[in-house]
Amino acid sequence: MRRRAALLSLAATAYVAAAWAVTPGFYDGIAPPQPYRWVSPPPQFKSSNQQPLSGRGSARVASNGSVDPGSIFTQDGQAAVSFVPGAFVTPADRSPVTIDVKPVAEFPNPDGTHLATNVYCVTSSSPLTPGKDVLVTLQFSDQLPAPSDIYEYQGDGPWKKIGSTGSAAPFYIATRATSLGCFAGGYPANAKQSAQGARLGGGQALPIIVALAILVVVLAGVPLAVMRRRAARAAREDESEP
Amino acid sequence: MLALRAPGVLGLQGLTLVAGGAALCLLAAGRRPEELGLGRSHLGGRLLGGAALAAVLLLPAAARWGGGPGLAPALGVAAVAVSVGEEVAFRGVLFAALEEAYGPAAAVLGSTAAWTLAHVLSHPAPFLPAVTAAGLLLAAWRWAARDLVGPIVGHVLADVAL
Repeated sequence: MRRRAALLSLAATAYVAAAWAVTPGFYDGIAPPQPYRWVSPPPQFKSSNQQPLSGRGSARVASNGSVDPGSIFTQDGQAAVSFVPGAFVTPADRSPVTIDVKPVAEFPNPDGTHLATNVYCVTSSSPLTPGKDVLVTLQFSDQLPAPSDIYEYQGDGPWKKIGSTGSAAPFYIATRATSLGCFAGGYPANAKQSAQGARLGGGQALPIIVALAILVVVLAGVPLAVMRRRAARAAREDESEP
Repeated sequence: MLALRAPGVLGLQGLTLVAGGAALCLLAAGRRPEELGLGRSHLGGRLLGGAALAAVLLLPAAARWGGGPGLAPALGVAAVAVSVGEEVAFRGVLFAALEEAYGPAAAVLGSTAAWTLAHVLSHPAPFLPAVTAAGLLLAAWRWAARDLVGPIVGHVLADVAL
């Protein structure tokens, strides 16, 4: 019994030490592990914000003459573009197609739309093949209301909604785009109020939950241990009686 | 609420995760609850154990907590399904199978290794030591108390609270 308790204590100590090395500590993949990086952070995130990163990648031309499939991610994983074979026009010299994904600070005013992510512009060294599309995936912050759709603009605008295909990963939104341009996740500005209600209070109450758990263990655990000890003593006494 | 009005975003993810959790629970088909550590004896103690495990799992996060909203409701439900599914699969079925075949040490280490491997794709590398340590703690409880209720309660509380 003592050996088991000692090993359990050891495991608990090892866990606390390991979890202390990362923030937030316990993490089961349901929410993003890292704070969202903003180009222009909302006021509450200004002090801790890190600038978002861009991404660049290339797709080779296969022996059959079509451009290989692939996915290009920004270095922080907040935006990605995925494409199927032949999505890009094969360059005349059959050189690899370079794709860039960059967060930008300046963009047309998205009238009537609240942007919930950074704006990412996607460019390529060879145009998209007519009739083909790419999958644009954007991460969004777990601290703010989720976007309902991805919006796109080209050149000087205007913004247009291109929809959402959803995403298997929480806090990511994706859609197919038939043209390359600049993309952001957003929702109608008049939906903002209701969107802010889409959260549980659990995050704010975390220290309270932990305190309650400790309290319950102590308050209920002590009587339980006393009862068990009494029962064991009574059993011993019964056994010792002739 | 936007998250609920936009099933293409969080609703679809929530449904996917709930389906995944349910699929993991199906692995327990054909096993008696007692084999998995799900017996009804000493239920009060098992639930208390769950609360204690939750406190330990959440302690590093709570001690450094700076505030912030939790999971969206759709993902809260999904978190419960995934937590229960993972516990039944790793500390329930796999643990029982490994213990029967190779003994308790193999059950603790093997279920922890499988649990860590299952999180390799969903977690950035720096989180994996904490994932392994959490798996070890939950498996140690499963071995020491012959109980899966505690790990389920602890895991669910930790997932939902964060």
